[in-house]
Amino acid sequence: MTPILRARDLTMRYPSGSSPALDAVDLDILPGESVAIMGASGSGKTTLLHCLAGIVRPTSGTVTFASGTGPVQVESLDDAGRARLRREELGFVFQQGLLLNELTALEDVAVARMLAGVPRAQAEAEAGQWLAHLGLAGMEQRRLGELSGGQAQRVAIARAQVGGARLIFADEPTGALDSATSVEVLDLLLDAVRQGRTLVVVTHDADVAARCARTVVLRDGRVVSDWAPAAASAGVSR
Amino acid sequence: MSGLTTALRLAPLFARRRDGDRLTVALPLASFMVVTALVELVVGGAQAFFRWDDDLGGTYQLLAVVALVLLLVPLATVGASAARLAARRRDERLASLRLLGATTGTVTALTVLEAAATAFVGAVLGTALYGATAPLLGLLHFRGAALGSQVWLPWLWLPVVVLGVTLLAAASAVAGLRAVVVTPLGVRTRQRAGRAHWVRAVVALVVLAVGSLLVQSLGMLGSAGGVVAIVVVLAVAFGGALLALDAVGPWVVRLRARRAHRRATTVPALLAARMILEDPKAAWRQVSGVAMTSFVGVFGAVGLAFARVTDTSTLSGDERWLMQDISTGVLVTVAGSFLMVACSVGINQAATTLDRAAVHVSLDRLGVPRAVMADASRRSVMSALWIVAGGSALCAVLLLLPLVGMAVFLQPVAVVTAAAVFAVGFLAVRGAAALSARLVPGILASPERVL
Ligand SMILES: Nc1ncnc2c1ncn2[C@@H]1O[C@H](COP(=O)(O)OP(=O)(O)OP(=O)(O)O)[C@@H](O)[C@H]1O
Ligand SMILES: [Mg+2]
Repeated sequence: MTPILRARDLTMRYPSGSSPALDAVDLDILPGESVAIMGASGSGKTTLLHCLAGIVRPTSGTVTFASGTGPVQVESLDDAGRARLRREELGFVFQQGLLLNELTALEDVAVARMLAGVPRAQAEAEAGQWLAHLGLAGMEQRRLGELSGGQAQRVAIARAQVGGARLIFADEPTGALDSATSVEVLDLLLDAVRQGRTLVVVTHDADVAARCARTVVLRDGRVVSDWAPAAASAGVSR
Repeated sequence: MSGLTTALRLAPLFARRRDGDRLTVALPLASFMVVTALVELVVGGAQAFFRWDDDLGGTYQLLAVVALVLLLVPLATVGASAARLAARRRDERLASLRLLGATTGTVTALTVLEAAATAFVGAVLGTALYGATAPLLGLLHFRGAALGSQVWLPWLWLPVVVLGVTLLAAASAVAGLRAVVVTPLGVRTRQRAGRAHWVRAVVALVVLAVGSLLVQSLGMLGSAGGVVAIVVVLAVAFGGALLALDAVGPWVVRLRARRAHRRATTVPALLAARMILEDPKAAWRQVSGVAMTSFVGVFGAVGLAFARVTDTSTLSGDERWLMQDISTGVLVTVAGSFLMVACSVGINQAATTLDRAAVHVSLDRLGVPRAVMADASRRSVMSALWIVAGGSALCAVLLLLPLVGMAVFLQPVAVVTAAAVFAVGFLAVRGAAALSARLVPGILASPERVL
């Protein structure tokens, strides 16, 4: 199967850092996978995610994304091109939610569609359906500051999916939640995977990782373990 | 341990962290510097007239007071902007400190210390700037002679001004931080929405009506109380009108934004309306300085036209000088108010942009094109600007109309002056918006500072 995302020799050096935050990482992510990225604090998880998602440009190495219209070299796109890629093809769920506090839940999700040229009324209708689907019916008009952490993450999950993104990136999506709410939020992310999307989730939480199909562990910017329990039970490790 | 000792121990830590974001320090510092220099120039210029003690000297002094009033209001807004900026991003750090359990005393002491130190250094630099620019002010001619060294303030005033600026900055830092101390969580999550109530509109209308009545009875008051009465009435009417405008402005801005929000069909329009609705007062503040220039501009236009239509053939030599000097004074006042408004608009917009840094980063991560972000910011500024400029010009005309009559407004010099003032006001705001938009790439280049 062609990977949806292929990273080769990915290296990232921050100007102020002495050792690289990412050191020659190779990684293939297959369509429909759920991949947990784990590792100690400072091991390069967020940096890897940002490079894969085109938020920052790696110092060297390549990232190939299999978009609907053919392969895209993410690292060679300019700022506008990477912004377009994030907007049109990728979904994001981060710890702080990256939500716009002045918007209502409905608007926050609808804006993602409006940016794609969908008229406001239709965008809001689609957004409303997603919010209801994620258990937020009745909260459409709440401003985001008025939602709990778990509810805010549901809004983010709705927004990540409303545009039909095939690949969702999550950076510690449960980092600020209690364990019961964490389970609910992860359930929703894994639902998205069941519907055919691909999930890359950075987490410190072993319970979250255990429910993903595959776990990649980083140490000092290198992949030190890449483990798929399902495959492992068949005697295969990657 | 007392709050102050803790604060003193923490202060160097904060000072060191700062070199990461120099802008947070540089902007307030520059603002306090400009404010101080302007205060000293304005007061220095005004007191120059108080060295005359002949017949017409009294008239000059009264006009100087009018100009001082017209300039002090915008100056106060620059000062307030600078103080707000000084207390700005520190809010968040302090809210964090508070979450970590620092006492109210520590948080307050640390803030006051920082704001006061910034203001003090800025004020000292500003005094140096005053020293460098006062000779330019001295070049102005009144009664046919240059003001020259008369514009120098007695040296004892300088430390007084520096101290005053420092104290005011400290005081407004205390006022601005009460919210943080009371609700650390509220500030960290930015949940507070600005309020703007219709009661303000009623109050403002009453103030305007009273001002208009006062101005209409000016002739009567003038014959009873002389020039003093006229000046007092004018100062009260204009000061009141400006305050009224400031009270009602945020409310009108919010009404318009609500409508814009309902009708928005594009993302920039929707975001702009929401930005304004989130904090109508902040939206107003970004451009409210223009109310001053519109006001001063209309006032100045009338003054110029008035000096022009007065028949000078029957006047004595001194009185002819007076008419000419009114024109000079008007131009200087208008120019001065523009300088201050440009500063205040620039400072406020920079502060707003930095305040919204996290939003910019979020939007960028989500792939929102930078052009869309810039468009949204621009819309939020410009929509408020129309209300400010139009509303204030209307107020000024309504106040002055009964006094000087329509003929003066139709003088070409009045029309041209007013038009020029508006054009420059718009350019100043657009320029400030463009400058503060330049902060955005820097914010996006180092998002770890805001997230
Ligand atoms: N903007 C930056 N500038 C300089 N160094 C950075 C920057 N961002 C990250 N680093 C450094 O790169 C390394 C990897 O950071 P990264 O944020 O990817 O770690 P992480 O695994 O996500 O950690 P955590 O679990 O704490 O979120 C760290 O040593 C960090 O200090
Ligand atoms: Mg991280």
